Amino acid sequence: MTVERGSPAFRIAVHGAMILLSLLAIFPLWWMIATSLRPEGEVFSTALFPASPTLENYRAALEALPMPRILWNTFAMAALTAAAQAASGLLAAYALVFWRFRGARTAQVLIALSWLVPFQVVMIPNYVLATRLGMLDSLAGLVIPNAAAAFAVLLMINALRSFPKEIVEAARMDGAGSLRILVEVIVPNLRAPLASLGVLAFISAWNEYFWPLLLIRRMEASVVQIGLQFFMTQEGNDWGPLMAAATMASLPILALYLVLHRQVIDSFMRSGIR
Amino acid sequence: MTEAAIPAARRSVVRLPLLGVKLSEPWLYLAPALLIVVVWTWAPLVGAFGLSFQQWNMLPHSEPRWVGLDNYANLVTLPDMGRAVSNTLLYILGLFPLSVIAPLAIAILTQDLSGPLRNLYRTLVFLPMIVAPIVAAVLWRWLLNEDHGLVNAGLSALGFARIGFLSDPDVALWTLVWITGWKLIGFSTLLLSAANAAIPASYIEAARMDGASRWRIVRDIRLPLLSPTILLLSMMTVLFGAQWSFVYINALTGGGPLRSTTNVFFLMWEYGFKTMSAGWSAAAGVLTFVVFGLAALGCLRLMRKYAVHDS
Amino acid sequence: MLKRHLLAAGLLATLAAPQIAAAEMAEAITEPVTITFYNYNLASAGLGREATLGLIEEFMRRNPLVTVEPIAAPSNEVLSRVQADMVAGMQPDLAQLVFRDLIYAAKELGAEPLEDLAGEELAAHSVGMVPNGLALGEVEGKTYGLAYVFSTPVMFYNADLFRAAGLDPDQPPRTWEEVKDAGLAITKATGKHGFFPGAYGPIDGTFVYQAIVMSNGGKVRDGNTLTFADPAAAEAVAMLRDLMDSGAHARIDVGAHLDTFQSGNLGMFLWTSAVQNRLIKAAEGNFELRVAPMPAFGEKPTAPTNSGSALFLFSKEPEKQRAAWELMKFLTSEYAYNEITTKIGYLPLRPGMVEDPKWLKDWVEANPMIKPNLSQLERLTPNIAFPGPNYRQVENMMKEAMTEAVFGSGDPVETLKAAQERGQPLMPAE
Repeated sequence: MTVERGSPAFRIAVHGAMILLSLLAIFPLWWMIATSLRPEGEVFSTALFPASPTLENYRAALEALPMPRILWNTFAMAALTAAAQAASGLLAAYALVFWRFRGARTAQVLIALSWLVPFQVVMIPNYVLATRLGMLDSLAGLVIPNAAAAFAVLLMINALRSFPKEIVEAARMDGAGSLRILVEVIVPNLRAPLASLGVLAFISAWNEYFWPLLLIRRMEASVVQIGLQFFMTQEGNDWGPLMAAATMASLPILALYLVLHRQVIDSFMRSGIR
Repeated sequence: MTEAAIPAARRSVVRLPLLGVKLSEPWLYLAPALLIVVVWTWAPLVGAFGLSFQQWNMLPHSEPRWVGLDNYANLVTLPDMGRAVSNTLLYILGLFPLSVIAPLAIAILTQDLSGPLRNLYRTLVFLPMIVAPIVAAVLWRWLLNEDHGLVNAGLSALGFARIGFLSDPDVALWTLVWITGWKLIGFSTLLLSAANAAIPASYIEAARMDGASRWRIVRDIRLPLLSPTILLLSMMTVLFGAQWSFVYINALTGGGPLRSTTNVFFLMWEYGFKTMSAGWSAAAGVLTFVVFGLAALGCLRLMRKYAVHDS
Repeated sequence: MLKRHLLAAGLLATLAAPQIAAAEMAEAITEPVTITFYNYNLASAGLGREATLGLIEEFMRRNPLVTVEPIAAPSNEVLSRVQADMVAGMQPDLAQLVFRDLIYAAKELGAEPLEDLAGEELAAHSVGMVPNGLALGEVEGKTYGLAYVFSTPVMFYNADLFRAAGLDPDQPPRTWEEVKDAGLAITKATGKHGFFPGAYGPIDGTFVYQAIVMSNGGKVRDGNTLTFADPAAAEAVAMLRDLMDSGAHARIDVGAHLDTFQSGNLGMFLWTSAVQNRLIKAAEGNFELRVAPMPAFGEKPTAPTNSGSALFLFSKEPEKQRAAWELMKFLTSEYAYNEITTKIGYLPLRPGMVEDPKWLKDWVEANPMIKPNLSQLERLTPNIAFPGPNYRQVENMMKEAMTEAVFGSGDPVETLKAAQERGQPLMPAE
């Protein structure tokens, strides 16, 4: 463990800077929540706190959309996507870091460069393929095309490269197979990068808009980004319900972050051991 | 890269009983990611490459017409192209402090704070990540509005002139950089904190025992060990700066005022992806891919050259 | 799978089912049939969605053999959605598309010309419709889109700001000259903004701009020739520039005009009448909202053009064509317009209903703010869509140039001319 060090002046400067940054970071969120509590006529008020807070906007949002259902769909989609990306990323990185074989470089470049293909180019062909595979309106259709991501592979490659090789070597000496080494030796020590990857992949899946918009036709199968757009029209935004829905949409990610963030911290705590 | 595991790899060949195919072990591990990427990204890209030389709307009853390089020529010679390219560079430069430097400082400086406060700061800085981008866009538009926005109300209360954050051509681009960066700080901080946490404490302790100063520990141990992540984030900023800001350009300014906030990706969207012409769209996609692909290869070279690995 | 996918991406033309030769629409619906209806009112929460769902439900109640499968997509996405489904081999039946896409839908997407499809039935159905309204969906003399929900640009104004500036809110400006004077008076007396049109921002189409241009006798194109830099059209833009230079025209965030007006910081706001209900609600308790017809160039009559959408029929099978046509007729019937006008706030395409006590007479009396909008119906001038495969690019160039002409510092006419020259090669050759 590290000990708190440094001169008091330095510490105060650090705290000051962090407090300022934190305020900048959360102020718009406060505005989102405050607006979600304002009655209609008060929406454009610049008061920091709503003068007469109301849950009316939440009622409106819940009435307009089957929010629980939509949140659950999005959660399932994002969780599966994140898990798939972490798994496929870890496996690919494992192959690329611990083996040297013909074609490895090509494979790595193929994966890495796929990141740069703008989504709009592959959208229509992928839609056609998804339709032919019967994946319209399905969770599989939302998850499978995104089940691997270049970012995940690269992040895992970075993590594995700085993984202590002695540990792997020792396990191999004990006669462990490669899959067993991965599951029993590497994964437990890779909790911090896996957790952070999980959080980031989850968020980006959560915020996905164009692909679900194309793929999902039934309201019961819809996801939260499409729900948010329900309150933003060509004819102006429905500020109150929009902010209420946005607040509800943010809470699951916050919860996930808080849970997984512990993983990041825990693994730091234990990193002295290895 | 370790040599230790290689003999094992040579020996292990996996038989897939149903298919009767023999596959060496690393390919088996690579297969899921590779398969997804090839089927859902590369195959359509190859198709788009063909489309980019045609004028076609992809409809079954219409005939594709070969137009050679016309689609590319139309895009490259758009009058706003020069402006878009220079703006793209401004976006990238402007994003660096927010996507790399500030998060690095936060990760390192908060590392030495006591647990609860460190977590509190990191969590608060992370929070912008949880807001949907489109919601972030409209929130900032609102807060920064010249007339009913809180920021300007504050400025004028303090005796400053009001600023047209999104309507003044000299300011708008930096406003968008800020909004993009505001969403990103948490992302970079999370990655850097995780990487920072993964640095074995024994290294730091050993250096302390040797009487190394705080700054020397940062310079000689933390920065080198964080360099893969720093380079990854830098590369992402270069390659995706234009795309990250796209959401906000599209939602907030449409490239204006007076084209001051347009960038390459937005231009491609406006004249390529958003149109009903598959040829323009495909050409825009291929063009973006090739230009940023070359940039990526350059970055990867740099990464390989400068990244320090703990081995 | 991979092979199949490559084929899908590259060779859709050969893979797709052979085109069914234009068959006669079925006389009647004799067996159960399901049709898809692509609609953008369904893609946002609120009155538009509820009223539309209500109409679909009522239609299915009246036509028990027909099942309507509604497909919601935001208005800027609905066309790509229709196209994507065609590419994927799922032929759409009925779609609500905006007018900018009229020619593309007719010529490229293969919408059915209603005269060929329904002939006499169309003639009978269109009795009582605004003749100008029907012309909105015409391409080369045939009706491809049946005007459905639409609105015209009207001038919303903040009566409180008018009073504060010493202006009479009962005498709203009728000409651009008067707009300029009123705008300057408001700016000077209150420090708020004078006038702003919803013509430049990411969510504004070109209909407000086109209405201003056509009110001055200009046109944005003539056949395949771009004319938006020709004198009458360019003068209209130069007029806006003059308003801007004088200070009567606000220089604000073009994407937030509606918010600026709703928050009471803008005196006059020229935009689609479709936001009327929203503005009435927003103004309640904050300021007094009033509505006037769009301003004129001196004594010239105005040419209010339309925003909104038309219905396009894409079905290729006789039974589905019949079902889609029945739905189309239902959605433009008196019953439907009664719902659409009272619940959503769009204009009724059947003006007779306004005098009819059975339909809208009482409602109009209770909601006088619709009157300026109704009065513009008789001068309704079709919004001009662009032809050819590059129509969106051309439209984009025009809008960018127009915005720069108003907001920039260069000569407005030269700016428009340069854009017109760049855009012309992207128009169809003949």
